[in-house]
Amino acid sequence: MPSIIEVQDLSKYYGKHLVYEKLNFDVKEGEFISIIGPSGCGKTTLLKILGGLIEHSSGNISINGQPVKNALKARKLGFVFQNPVLLPWRISSSNIELPLEIQGINNSPKLSEELLKIVGLEGFENYYPGELSGGMQQRVAIARALAFKPLILMMDEPFGALDEITRSHMNLELLRIWKEEKASISTVIFVTHSISEAVFLSDRILVLSAGPSKIEEIVDIDLPRPRKTEMKHSKRYIEFMEHLRKIIGED
Amino acid sequence: MKLALQFFNKIKRSGTIGIPILFSIVIFVVWELLVFLLEIPEYLLPPPSTIFIEVGTNFGLLLGHMSMTMFAAISGYLLANAIGFSTGVLFAHSKTIEKGLYPYAIALKTTPVIAMAPLLILWFGTDIESKIATAALICFFPIIVNSVKGLTSVDKDSLDLFKSYSASKWQIFTKLRLRTSLPYVFSALKISTGLSVVGAVVGEFVGANVGIGYLILVSSYHLETSTMFAAIMISAIGGVSFFAVISIIEKKVIFWQKSLETG
Repeated sequence: MPSIIEVQDLSKYYGKHLVYEKLNFDVKEGEFISIIGPSGCGKTTLLKILGGLIEHSSGNISINGQPVKNALKARKLGFVFQNPVLLPWRISSSNIELPLEIQGINNSPKLSEELLKIVGLEGFENYYPGELSGGMQQRVAIARALAFKPLILMMDEPFGALDEITRSHMNLELLRIWKEEKASISTVIFVTHSISEAVFLSDRILVLSAGPSKIEEIVDIDLPRPRKTEMKHSKRYIEFMEHLRKIIGED
Repeated sequence: MKLALQFFNKIKRSGTIGIPILFSIVIFVVWELLVFLLEIPEYLLPPPSTIFIEVGTNFGLLLGHMSMTMFAAISGYLLANAIGFSTGVLFAHSKTIEKGLYPYAIALKTTPVIAMAPLLILWFGTDIESKIATAALICFFPIIVNSVKGLTSVDKDSLDLFKSYSASKWQIFTKLRLRTSLPYVFSALKISTGLSVVGAVVGEFVGANVGIGYLILVSSYHLETSTMFAAIMISAIGGVSFFAVISIIEKKVIFWQKSLETG
């Protein structure tokens, strides 16, 4: 598969503090790739650099052969953060329309309705964020990220604040949305600190070491798709879990 | 007994209004009794009954004076908050302006308004303008501080979100900062309701021929203590009502705060 993002010799300093030195990797078109590593290794920073929200210090990143800023301006990127970051004074539908409003794009009045349907929140157009549960709020945030019809969905521990049951449900939902034709997402970059979540969702897992970080390993997860919850008990799944635990050193 | 219990339960249910009323009744009864039992002369401390009678008989006069005071207070309040919020926007926008002007804002805050009042009377005369000025002066500081705090209190995630849409500074201001500043702004707006009445009354103390402050001063010269108390009571009611109105507006404007709490 061709690469959609190419990263060459990426380095990032915060003042004198080195976060990474010379990272090299690529993200392939259509894949689900997770970034994982011990806390403080700069997973979120890496995602935000890939998305153009934080400047990198040196090296080169291109999305479809273009600088990141172009991809951002061309609305190729959709973001979902750990917190839903919904504006509490706006109902779901106008939260979803916010990105279009900012860029001055006319949208069909049906858009938020359609997007809410995709994320499984049909009929919640007129609810304020305060009236929705944490899981529902994150669904609205995903719907909002889809408003641009982005090519790449960048997610920073989106389910980290949810309870275990809601989380595994949201994992299945995310996989469904990713494959949903109307959502038009090709590639997902997913930051998490949960090994189990990463294995369950991903095609590949990029493992960062503790800072100053380098790429410890890129693990191919060749579990069949569509993924099902039962797979979490399969031998292959458990092998991946053990392998990742070993390299991350979480014990 | 059963009736009293029913009455008590009714008050208990109506919570926020009922309980303070019940307390005031108790305080007034104790006050009335103490004045009677200790034989306190009326020019020192009139009993509540006399004050209520005073309010009843001179209601028109009291209201006339109070409306002048409230007009000055509210005008000064609106003026100060409009200018103060604009200054806050300026401060939030430019660190240089903030650094340059902030010491003056602090100086304004620490100088007692009573010390400035004679000067303001000199400048604006003994009519309503000088009272508007004293009221405005005292309301100025809270809104500056709170609007700066509110406008800069936007969380990093929201900023990242807007950045990811390539939003302009103006869009971030109108769609995000203005809204997130509202709880802070309203906190200042509520604080300065009472302050504005203080400012107007202080202005009236220094030089006026009308207004509740003037009435208090004149009745103190004549040892008309019950009139004084009636005037004090009316001015308190004026301040409290002003606060209540702003609180109601706050609840309507920042409706999402409540839904956040319950959600």
